[in-house]
Amino acid sequence: MSKEEIYQALCDAVVNLKIKESAPLAQKALDEGLDPVETINEGLVKGMTIVGDKFAAHQMFLPQVLVASKVLYAGLDILIPAIPAGALDNAKKAGASVVEGDVHDIGKNIVKTMLTAGGFIVTDFGKDTPPKTIVDGVKNEGLDILCLSTLMTPTMDAMKATIDLLKETGLKGNCTVTIGGPPTSPEFAKSIGADHRDNNAQDCVAWLKG
Amino acid sequence: MVAPMTPYQRAIASVMNEPVDELCSSPLALGLARRLMPQTVTYKEWATTPELAAQSFVRAYEVWKLPFTVCLVDLSVTASNFGAHVRMDKENTPFVDEHIIHTAEDYEKIAECPTEITEGRTGALLEMNRLLAPRIKDKSFHAAFLEGPLLTLTQAGGAEQVMMDMFVEPDAVHKALERTTKFCCEAVTWLGDNHAAQAMCWDYLWGNYSCLDDGQYGEFEGDKYAKATNEATRKAGLGCGVHNCADLPHLDTQINKFGSAFYSMAYYPLIPGSPTASETIDKGYADNCLLFGNIDPQMFIRNSKEEITNATKDLCQEVKTALCKRGLNSRYVISSGCEVPPDLETKLENVQAVMDATHQYGAF
Repeated sequence: MSKEEIYQALCDAVVNLKIKESAPLAQKALDEGLDPVETINEGLVKGMTIVGDKFAAHQMFLPQVLVASKVLYAGLDILIPAIPAGALDNAKKAGASVVEGDVHDIGKNIVKTMLTAGGFIVTDFGKDTPPKTIVDGVKNEGLDILCLSTLMTPTMDAMKATIDLLKETGLKGNCTVTIGGPPTSPEFAKSIGADHRDNNAQDCVAWLKG
Repeated sequence: MVAPMTPYQRAIASVMNEPVDELCSSPLALGLARRLMPQTVTYKEWATTPELAAQSFVRAYEVWKLPFTVCLVDLSVTASNFGAHVRMDKENTPFVDEHIIHTAEDYEKIAECPTEITEGRTGALLEMNRLLAPRIKDKSFHAAFLEGPLLTLTQAGGAEQVMMDMFVEPDAVHKALERTTKFCCEAVTWLGDNHAAQAMCWDYLWGNYSCLDDGQYGEFEGDKYAKATNEATRKAGLGCGVHNCADLPHLDTQINKFGSAFYSMAYYPLIPGSPTASETIDKGYADNCLLFGNIDPQMFIRNSKEEITNATKDLCQEVKTALCKRGLNSRYVISSGCEVPPDLETKLENVQAVMDATHQYGAF
C-alpha cells in the first residue's frame, strides 16, 4: 500500500465503522516508516471529521459516532506512543470533564473525541469530578483549555464552583473555559465566567481552533 | 364564553378538545412538591417513601390547583430493579452511578433478571400511585410516569455502552429489551388493575434526531417495544402518553404512530429545527393529542417572577393563536418543557406565577 492508500484506508475505517481495521492499519503505517503525526492527521482525524460533520447534519447518529470514536482510539493507541518526543510541543492541551454530581458523560466523551481529532492533547477528567481535582489537573498538566459538561440542572452550579476555583488559584487567565449540556445557555456561561458555550462538539472545537 | 371550570373539568375538556374557560396550566412540579410539605422532607426521603410522595402531590394540587398530576420521581426507578446502583444524595435527584453492562454477555443479567414489579423502587413507585389515586380523584387528572423499555435499559446498562452495542451487538440488546418491555407492561397492568392512575406517561427519551434516526429508533423501541407498552397501557384502561424533553423529537412516530393521547415536550431555541409550540400545533400534532409544553425549566430557578410571567403570557398568546388557526379548542397545556428543577433554590412563587399568568392571559 502506498502512503496515501494507508491514510485513506484509516479514514475509511473510521467513517465505515470498521473496529477491527484501524489498529492493524496504524501498525502497518508504522511498519512502513510513516510519520505517526501525519498518519493521525491524514487518516484517522480526516475520518473523524467526516463523522463529526455527518453527526452535526443528522446524517449519522449516536451509535455510529460512538463506534467511530472506538475505531479512532484503537488507531491512536498504536500511533501516539510512536510520536517522537517534542513533536507535539506546540499542540494545545485541553481537559474535558463532567462536573461534580453528574455522571452523564456521552456528551463529554464526544467532545473529547472531537478535540482529539482536532489536534488537541486531551486530558479526560471523567465524570462526577470535584472542582479541586479538575483545577489541580489544569495546573499540573498546564492546560490551555477546559471543557465542562453537565446534563442536569442541580449540577450546573458545580460549573460555577469549578470556574471560581480556577479564578481563586490564578489559573483562569491562561485557561479558556467552555461549557456544554442541554440546561446551559450562553447567558449562563457569561454569568459564571465561562468563555463560551456551544450546542455540539463540532462547533465547540471549531470555535476553539478559530 | 365558557363558564368557569374546575381544574379537573378543564383537564378533561382539554383531553377531549372541548371548549374551555382558559388554557390548562400545569408545570411539571414534581420533586419540588416536597417543599410544600409542612415538615422538612429531603429529596431522598421523598423519593423513597411512597406516603410522603403521595402527600406532597396532594399538597401540590391544593396549593397550585394543578389540573394534571404527573408522577415522575426520577429516571432510575426501573433500572434499579434490574440491579443498577442508584446514588441517593440528600437533596439531589437520584441517578444511576454504577451501570451493569460492560460486555455483550452482561445483557444476560437484564434478560434473566428475576425482579418483580412490586419489589424495590418500582414497587415503591407503584404503591405511591395507588396511595395517591383516591386522594386526587375528580380533582386532578392523574398520570403515572415510568421509564420506557429502552430508557430502562440505557439507565441500567449505561447509555454509551448500549448505544454502541446497538451497532455491534444488536441481538444482545434486543434480548434485554424483551425483558425490560415485559417489566414495563407488567407495571402498567398493575396500575390499571389497582385503579392507581388514569393514564401512563412513558418516558421514551431516545426518540429524537440527535440520538437515533427513524430506523434505529423503530428497531430498538418504536416498532416493537414501545408498541407493546402502549398496547398494554390501553389494555389496562389507562390513557397513553409520552414525555420526551429532547431537542428534536420523533413527533410523527411518538404522537401519530403511537396514537398518543398526550405528549409532553420541550423547546430549545438554540437548536435549529427544535419545534415551537405553534409549529407543533400548525403541523397537526395537536389534532388528536393533548400537547404539554414548553416553558424553559431553568426559568423557575434563574428568572424573576416578572420574567416568567412574561414568558407565560407570550406562550399563551402563541398557543391560543395557533389553536384558533388550526380550528382546535383546547389541546395545549401550558407547562414546563421538562421537570421544574426540584432544587432548594427553585422559586416556588414562579410556579404560582405561571398559574396566574395562564389564568390572566390564557382565558378565552
